[in-house]
Amino acid sequence: MSASSAFSDEKGGSSSVGEPEYGHDPASGGIFSSDYKRHDDLKEMLDSNKDSLKLEAMKRIVAMIARGKNTSDLFPAVVKNVACKNIEVKKLVYVYLVRYAEEQQDLALLSISTFQRGLKDPNQLIRASALRVLSSIRVTIIVPIMMLAIKEAASDMSPYVRKTAAHAIPKLYSLDPEQKDQLIEVIEKLLADKTTLVAGSVVMAFEEVCPERIDLIHKNYRKLCNLLVDVEEWGQVVIINMLTRYARTQFLNPNLNECLLEEGGESTFYGSDADQDEDEDEDKKEEALSKRKPYVMDPDHRLLLRNTKPLLQSRNAAVVMAVAQLYFHLAPKAEVGVIAKALVRLLRSHSEVQYVVLQNVATMTIKRRGMFEPYLKSFYIRSTDPTQIKVLKLEVLTNLASETNISTILREFQTYIKSMDKDFVAATIQAIGRCATHIGEVRDTCLNGLVQLLSNRDELVVAESVVVIKKLLQMQPEKHSDIIKHMAKLTDNIQVPMARASILWLIGEYCEHVPKIAPDVLRKMAKTFTNEEDIVKLQIINLAAKLYLTNSKQTKLLTQYVLNLAKYDQNYDIRDRARFIRQLIVPTDKCGALSKYAKKLILALKPAPILESPFKDRDHFQLGSLSHLLNTKAGGYQELPDWPQDAPDPSVRNVEVPEWTKCSSREKRKEKKVEKPFYSDSEGESGPTESADSESDSASSSASGSEQSGSGSEESEESEERSDSDEEEEEEEEEAKKRKTQKKEPIEAVQQSESEQSSEEEVKKRKVSKPPPRNVSESESDDDEDSPSDSSQDSESEDSESEAEVKKKKKITPPKAPTKPVKKEGKKEKKEMSLLDFDDFEPTPSPQVTPVGNFLSSSLVTDLEGLSLTDTVLSPATISPSGSLKSYELLHRITGEGLLVEYCFSRQPFLPDPHMVAVQIQFTNSAATEAKSLRLEEAKLQSGMRVKEFPEIEVLPAGESATVVMGIDFCDSTQAANLQLCTHSRKFFVSIQPPVGELMTPSFMTENEFKKEQEMLLKNLGQLMGMNEITEKMQLPERCQNEHAIVQRVTAAANLSRVPCGSDKECSSPAPPPPGPPVHRFAGRTVTSGSLVLVTVATKESGPSQLTINCEKMVIGTMLVKDILLALTQ
Amino acid sequence: MISQIFILSSKGDHLIYKDFRGEAGKDAVTVFYEKVTALTGDQPPVVMSHKELHFVHIRQGGLYWVVTTTAASSPFTLVEFLNRLTTLIKDYCGSLSEKSVRMNFALIYELLDEVVDNGYIQTTSTDILKNFIQTEAVTSKPFSLFDLSNVGLFGAETQQSKVAPSAAATRPIMSTRGDQGGKSEIFVDVVERMSVVIGSNGVLMKVDVEGEIRVKCYMPSCLEMRIGLNEEFSIGKSQLRGYGAAVRVDECSFHQAVKLDEFDQHRILKVCPSQGEHVVMQYLLSDELPSAPPFRLFPTIERDNGGRLLMYLKLRCDLPPKSSAINVSVTVPVPKGSLSLSQELSSPDQKAELRAETRAVHWDIPRFPGGAQLSALFKLEVPGLSSASMMEVGPVGLSFELPKYTCTGLQIRFLRLTPVQAGSSQRWVRYVTHSDSYTIRI
Repeated sequence: MSASSAFSDEKGGSSSVGEPEYGHDPASGGIFSSDYKRHDDLKEMLDSNKDSLKLEAMKRIVAMIARGKNTSDLFPAVVKNVACKNIEVKKLVYVYLVRYAEEQQDLALLSISTFQRGLKDPNQLIRASALRVLSSIRVTIIVPIMMLAIKEAASDMSPYVRKTAAHAIPKLYSLDPEQKDQLIEVIEKLLADKTTLVAGSVVMAFEEVCPERIDLIHKNYRKLCNLLVDVEEWGQVVIINMLTRYARTQFLNPNLNECLLEEGGESTFYGSDADQDEDEDEDKKEEALSKRKPYVMDPDHRLLLRNTKPLLQSRNAAVVMAVAQLYFHLAPKAEVGVIAKALVRLLRSHSEVQYVVLQNVATMTIKRRGMFEPYLKSFYIRSTDPTQIKVLKLEVLTNLASETNISTILREFQTYIKSMDKDFVAATIQAIGRCATHIGEVRDTCLNGLVQLLSNRDELVVAESVVVIKKLLQMQPEKHSDIIKHMAKLTDNIQVPMARASILWLIGEYCEHVPKIAPDVLRKMAKTFTNEEDIVKLQIINLAAKLYLTNSKQTKLLTQYVLNLAKYDQNYDIRDRARFIRQLIVPTDKCGALSKYAKKLILALKPAPILESPFKDRDHFQLGSLSHLLNTKAGGYQELPDWPQDAPDPSVRNVEVPEWTKCSSREKRKEKKVEKPFYSDSEGESGPTESADSESDSASSSASGSEQSGSGSEESEESEERSDSDEEEEEEEEEAKKRKTQKKEPIEAVQQSESEQSSEEEVKKRKVSKPPPRNVSESESDDDEDSPSDSSQDSESEDSESEAEVKKKKKITPPKAPTKPVKKEGKKEKKEMSLLDFDDFEPTPSPQVTPVGNFLSSSLVTDLEGLSLTDTVLSPATISPSGSLKSYELLHRITGEGLLVEYCFSRQPFLPDPHMVAVQIQFTNSAATEAKSLRLEEAKLQSGMRVKEFPEIEVLPAGESATVVMGIDFCDSTQAANLQLCTHSRKFFVSIQPPVGELMTPSFMTENEFKKEQEMLLKNLGQLMGMNEITEKMQLPERCQNEHAIVQRVTAAANLSRVPCGSDKECSSPAPPPPGPPVHRFAGRTVTSGSLVLVTVATKESGPSQLTINCEKMVIGTMLVKDILLALTQ
Repeated sequence: MISQIFILSSKGDHLIYKDFRGEAGKDAVTVFYEKVTALTGDQPPVVMSHKELHFVHIRQGGLYWVVTTTAASSPFTLVEFLNRLTTLIKDYCGSLSEKSVRMNFALIYELLDEVVDNGYIQTTSTDILKNFIQTEAVTSKPFSLFDLSNVGLFGAETQQSKVAPSAAATRPIMSTRGDQGGKSEIFVDVVERMSVVIGSNGVLMKVDVEGEIRVKCYMPSCLEMRIGLNEEFSIGKSQLRGYGAAVRVDECSFHQAVKLDEFDQHRILKVCPSQGEHVVMQYLLSDELPSAPPFRLFPTIERDNGGRLLMYLKLRCDLPPKSSAINVSVTVPVPKGSLSLSQELSSPDQKAELRAETRAVHWDIPRFPGGAQLSALFKLEVPGLSSASMMEVGPVGLSFELPKYTCTGLQIRFLRLTPVQAGSSQRWVRYVTHSDSYTIRI
């Protein structure tokens, strides 16, 4: 760093202040010793016990690195501190290591073991930066270590670490391309990740490592679309670009049948500038409906367009441009208009951004002029704009010129000509010329204007004007003989030699059109020949020659005269020219051969120059790309693929939502529940719908599911359209369609409308009852994110089902009838696999026969959890027996004077506060009168406990029941929460006591992680408070021997998630389950403190089985052992 | 993907150089500087190429900020990234200059380490990065109250007794040392830029006012701030309300952190500003001004018998009498070949000169009170003056600064912090209008 002398190190303390700067070579004599001394001082500080000293030392070292000093001799002292507890120190050590990892690989190798330890640090930041540093070391020897670390980090609990893993992938790839296959596996796994933090980074990795594996995107396409809004902005850019490419390969060109589209296709309904009459529209609609339009936009295509649209408002220019190019390349023509405004907005940014935007706008205006026409004024040039931008704006203005606005534009151009910026003036004159060629009506005006410019004093203006006039005239010389005449007259006034020369050329070239004037001009010129500038003299000779050939009678003598004058000119160019011309045109004896062709040579037809935009052919480059900007192919540029002829199978993107129950039961339930509280309907709708038609677009959310009725994929497409609420007409269309369906399937239609109503109400209610984390809006993506709240609603409604229903459900659960629907089972299995992305985690060895009802509900829930963007849960394979929720009585019917209150632990995450346990309370009014204002009041709580009350139930009519959810933070203790339940007339003291198993939430981890955690905590490594291990031996009863029974009982007793068992190698292809006695593992975290709860059940074929519980909280551990023991042995 | 990032001073000194992917050689810096300096013109192209390497650069704070890339990545991303980087460094180092960059090597390296990983941009949010950054910024000197200039004072109008110098808002956000560190202050700027074209007949042809409300916050804790705008503030033409004196803008966009629940009713922006500088609101007014444009010009241009060009310019400032414009500079393009200038100006503090390189007469007025009218007579010696040369005069360009004035009339009614902190927080508001491009055609 050459500039380091100016640096005054204020932090360096006494040792560095006032010290002279030393050379970079530490080995040079005395300097070395002093350097060494100083480093000694640093070493001492690094070896001390105080973190503050270490920090100070590290800061100074980093500052030295920044100044370009060699501090490599400190390496051993620094590396020691990698194990330092202080994060700040640790981080600076990493900064140091990154620096020397690149330069001194041998030294860096020394530190690898420390990174490996860092990878297991409980702090996610440390884990992440350890991985980052490790992957930055470009040494091939450590490739296997890196591979392992990446794989491990890819299934880390913390999304931040997973993000870092994604970043590490391309690094490893560039180091060793042979790892590609393994890396693709990791990418595939990370693509399935549902957190927004990871999405952007993994797509970056995908783009660098395997952009050709477009098939990896299929399953994640919808998820990416839905997550897009929440992804970090740089990630958005990458994802949008990738999705553009994806869409180009997977969907049909929406502009293929333009004419048909305009007749009531979707595009006009969405079109921003749909200005047709309503009636007309409706006619067209019916027409279109009757003859079944040939192009129907894939709902996924629509999804992409809809979800990217809001990003046009982004503050990041890169995001805006990414969306703009997506719309330009993918949207139907009528919709592209929306991007214009956003792009124009970018013009208010820095000039560099303006420059890039204008480049792209210039390309767009050639193809879609109408889009930018309303913003014409935004492209007017400001006097403060840099020349480049002026020229680009001029380009855009020229492209936008049309019959209607040409007069305004020309007036604007006129003022530009006065500018002092010569390049700009030249560009303006050329722009006028282009306008004139494109718009015939103004050609004369333009020509006249340009001719006036000929009298400008500025040579450049004149020259440029003459050139442009010349070009214009070359197109239609015969029409404009009067202009040539006019220009001939100008020779008297115009003094600028360049202009004079140009005029003379014109007259000579088109002397046939001005046969009378041309000789006269030559006569005048011959008179002033000696006083002219050289270029003019040359043109005079040219003119004379041309006239001699066409009109030798009148001009023979004049030509002779001019040539004679030229013969004795001072300039030898002119003398040469004169000699040459004379030989050529005047036939003599000596050289007859060439003069025959004189006429052809001199009067050859010159091709008219073509005036067109330099941006004309740029659009074959993807807009917004570097290649487009440079107009050449930049390295690594990927061509935007052409639309496919036939649409590839859209079903590859389907991510199936599992079946809920059988169709028949759903229908029955429906009929029964006509008068039930509305939200129960939505639940009834959601599941079976998908099961009825596996092809329906199930966007893996119960919300979208509930909107769809069972009438097939057509319907689902509609429901997607529906949420695009800013268009009105489309709803009409939808209604028309509905009418159609009504005829066919009246029942279905009724159901649909019903469910729609209810779901609408549901949304309303949700808004009122509890503020969801994000605003509930109509858009589907939002619904998806809100889905946990949905799921809780689902479970509420589940409870509100009649008892018969519950019984039925229990019947379906397979432990009692495990082989019941064999066929279905198989099919389901397959679907579930894809939904849960099992293959990403542990290979489930065999069709794990789990309780259907439970499995499905839990998987749905967890699926939604994944979408909720919380970092804590990513637990696909949890088995929480929501079907067999045990409910407890809170208030007896008699003490409650007819009000029966029951509660159960719904095991759903409680959204408003993740540290609370969700308690679901059901009120049933069995009295004759209605109960009013049911609410909780003045809870008398143990210290530390907190309660989040449910919203007050205003009226509960007689015979009705209602369900609410409240949250209680039990502080990880089984102490009862004492509450006061109030009605309008009475107060009841009630208490809710949680079983210990309900104080935890499932936590997903792989077997490896589980073992690691267990081991680490046992060994008391890294954590000061050890984990207690409690082990009990037990004799399992006969019927409890099989896997399902154990799993079911444990998960019923405690809210834990099963750790999938499998081989020790992660990510490997499905291996057979390990032989030997099966071990079942379950993991969870306590709700309040988040401490790990690990349960291991080891069964043995003969002899006692063993139950082991590891938990930081001894009390919880002891109680849990008792509970699970009880559950297993009974 | 970013291969390298480097920052060069305007003289070509290497300030910061960091290679992320090892794809390009170290000579890239030299190559870039040669390319930039070889070009003439006011601005070299944003993207330049040398063999396989592409340079994308911006200029800010008198420095070249350059990234290089070998692969095709979106130029928008790179340009936007550089802009964000400058903002970040401004936030962390206090100001953006060669000096501040030189003094904060360590900090900037650390920032770059966190911001870019292997050439991929990770995050550019000041807030998130605060968690990672350990190094403290070094400031050149604690700002002193002595460098008070008349221009751009904070709070000059709203709090009569207290003023803060314009330099007050240029210090790093993360400074725990020193006396200034503990101070929790909030600076709010309402900055408007106007571009105006006035026709030769005095008709307003085009007006654009771009404005923004900028908040620079030094509050360590996240408080809620309520910014009250004029009550009669309206967006778009349709919802004009009140009795005439409304403040209207055409378009309005807000920072994503701004809560607008009280905006519709009371025109209050609620925001929890995080440390650093943010543009809370941007707005645009086009085609219409609530008041007359600030300057009008009445020119008389003729040729006298001696072949000289006479320009008699009368310039009127239509601002309210309380306000005044400063640093007004009038540029009158004159015919080519103008030789000498003789001038008669109405007051001695004004200056005028003929500059050959721009071919224009520059007339500088340091201070121009509202309602005043100034005049100037210029006589130019132009050999070979013809009627055609008369066409070369004009259009006149003006540049100026209007402190304590917004041409849309937007005002900040109040600035409240909740919960109220006793005395420890200071709030400053400043208004300024700049000329972006002010052209008067002749």
